[in-house]
Amino acid sequence: MIGILGSEWYKLQKSKAIFLLFAGPIAGLLIGLVVDINLLPGEAINKWHLALLSMNLNYALLFLPLITGVFASMICRYEHQAGGWKQLLAMPVTRGKVFIAKYLLLVTVILGMQILYLGSVFVVGIVHGITDPFPMVIVWKSILGGWIATFPLVALQLGISIMWKSFAAPFAVNVCFTLPAILAINSDRFGPYYPWAQPFSMMYIGGNTEDVFFIPWDQLLTVVGGSFLIFFICGYLYFQRKAV
Amino acid sequence: MIGKLVAQDVLKIKRKGIWFLTFLGPFGVVALQMVNYGVRKAYLLQQSDDDWAYYISNVSAFSPFALILGIAILTSFMASIENETNGWKQLTALPVSKMAIYLSKFTVLVMLLFLSSILLALFSLSYGVFLNLGDEIPYLELLKYSIYPFLASLPVLALQLWVATVSKNQGIPITVGVFGVILSYSAYVLPDWMIWKWPSLLNQWNEPMINVLFGLTFGAILYVIGMVDFMRRDVK
Amino acid sequence: MEYIVETNQLTKRFGKEIAVDRVDMRIPKGEIYGFLGPNGAGKTTTIRMLLGLMKPSFGSVQVFQKFLNEDRLNILKKVGSLVENPSYYPHLTAYENLEALRKVYGIPKSSITEVLELVRLSDVGNKKVKGFSLGMKQRLGIASALLHNPELLILDEPTNGLDPSGIIEIRNLIKRLPAERGITILISSHLLSEIDQIATTVGVLNKGHLIFQDTIERMREYSKQKVLLSVSDREHAWQSLVAAGIKAELHNGMISLKEKSDEKVAQAVRSLVHNDFSIYRVEEEKGSLEGIFLEMTTEEKSL
Repeated sequence: MIGILGSEWYKLQKSKAIFLLFAGPIAGLLIGLVVDINLLPGEAINKWHLALLSMNLNYALLFLPLITGVFASMICRYEHQAGGWKQLLAMPVTRGKVFIAKYLLLVTVILGMQILYLGSVFVVGIVHGITDPFPMVIVWKSILGGWIATFPLVALQLGISIMWKSFAAPFAVNVCFTLPAILAINSDRFGPYYPWAQPFSMMYIGGNTEDVFFIPWDQLLTVVGGSFLIFFICGYLYFQRKAV
Repeated sequence: MIGKLVAQDVLKIKRKGIWFLTFLGPFGVVALQMVNYGVRKAYLLQQSDDDWAYYISNVSAFSPFALILGIAILTSFMASIENETNGWKQLTALPVSKMAIYLSKFTVLVMLLFLSSILLALFSLSYGVFLNLGDEIPYLELLKYSIYPFLASLPVLALQLWVATVSKNQGIPITVGVFGVILSYSAYVLPDWMIWKWPSLLNQWNEPMINVLFGLTFGAILYVIGMVDFMRRDVK
Repeated sequence: MEYIVETNQLTKRFGKEIAVDRVDMRIPKGEIYGFLGPNGAGKTTTIRMLLGLMKPSFGSVQVFQKFLNEDRLNILKKVGSLVENPSYYPHLTAYENLEALRKVYGIPKSSITEVLELVRLSDVGNKKVKGFSLGMKQRLGIASALLHNPELLILDEPTNGLDPSGIIEIRNLIKRLPAERGITILISSHLLSEIDQIATTVGVLNKGHLIFQDTIERMREYSKQKVLLSVSDREHAWQSLVAAGIKAELHNGMISLKEKSDEKVAQAVRSLVHNDFSIYRVEEEKGSLEGIFLEMTTEEKSL
């Protein structure tokens, strides 16, 4: 397993796709720097929350779900290009392990991106001269919570990217699921149950104390966990049967 | 000659799901409103005296970035049809100019997106009638808010086609598309000169027609730049 | 005999079409098994099943006397393969391509330089593979297949698209391997001349059926079509042979013997000498293997 993971990391690290890692955090940084957080309405207990709020809408709602799909397509691209799957699966590895290794690689990359994003939030705060103590909840809930919320999305996108050679097709599927999230987050009834709205609701930190420390465990376990299991198992089984 | 190339390109997009996406885009935009109105119709109808105008504004809140996404997806599809089969090589070996090849791709994309826009108007109209928003149906407004964003998005189309045809790695145009969507989602804070803002029909003069004119002009300019670059490059 | 590869009634069906039909392949240890058949005969499908890339519709595959569906991982540790077009990662260099594979096998790094040397790609080891010529990609494919020192090497059309010097180079490489490394090789081709120069055992596949499987010598037997005699006074010589009850024909100024076993040839020669005819030459006319191959595959008769 270590061998496959090492090999997967090696292939990704040698491709230019890895630079995509910086795209989101840099975009977040620019948005955060442009928006004057002191002008944002609402009283907050901590100005860091405002900084995060100004950056999150674009990043968590659209960028994060969409980019997971792009990453998934990237790490399948070089396998599709010139018989990579054939070569990989003729080696003494099980298909299951290959699938898991690709999956682990993806979530690791997303974690890396989340950590860079945290760095962006920090820089924005410093530039805007925020003196309030840095709330660790941003790390736990926004960064790690948002990361975990992408697990099911990554599983689905990996499955679809294995299925289709083209970039556009998995992306189209991704878009079809991500756009409704814009509506879903405005709905109390549907928002909590829509997997593509989860990264946003996890990364979101509300203005009052109750919201701030509130991690919706039920929701996390049922919606994120449930959809993760469904997508992961479907992708896993599909890959077992795929003819190469 | 260009007619034949267009016919060939139309043939090539068969069974690739492109027609389906052309239909799905406008349908999806209206379907979001079906959910929206289905869940809280009473509340939404209270928001405004002019139910049709409010409904149209709800639909057109989504259509700009559905359009931007659609453009990114369709252009990438068009390019990958050639990339996957080494088609560029075969195509440029035909006795046609590279200019015609590029123009043909652009034409097909414009046709597909125009069809999408018309479908958007039809779907919006149908659901609006179903919602019983009033007897005075604003046909002109419906058409305007379906066609104008499309015309205003032509520079994005020209840009995406350019990037997609010259990139071997389709991850590049898709990533450009992702940023386009994010930009168009924040259209209200963007400066007026950003092409991703234009499909939203917002500008400081409150005159959608300006965006349409900008779209047509800069669409043509970007198209020419893309085409010249495409012609200049060697076929891989 | 110890078989490295043994299939039993191996069958693959795609919908209604049967691509591989009840194939019983036997590859003895240390042999170079030439897997011959026209394009579309089912060679690649068979090879994919041998590697577990495809599941058989029916029948079984045994490699190293273990069933593939039970022991796939242990088997594949000792198998190297090159299926159809060479597989590679275009964005990596030749060295990096092998490194990505090496990490999966978990073998020492020295094996990379070793196989690069073996296929003579050391000079371009640090160049990206997307710029390689077909022949270089093909050699890289063979290097990948040899990386982990396999005991069985499966090469599907390895000389496809190569120029003559490239073909010779690969042929010599393949010929060396059984002796130097004790490898058993399965090599497929649609060119008989290719197999003829390299294989020790041959299997011929046509329309999914294995219509011939034996040593290359046995295959060549079929090609010995007639023995020709060049003699003095050939009209009379021929008549004397026929009179002696030996089946012979006269054409193109030569006598050709229909029965070509050693005794029959000796009997004919003895008879001619006895009757004072001068024998200038006794030669064997080799029918081309192509001829036989074509005969086998077009008439689809079982040999």
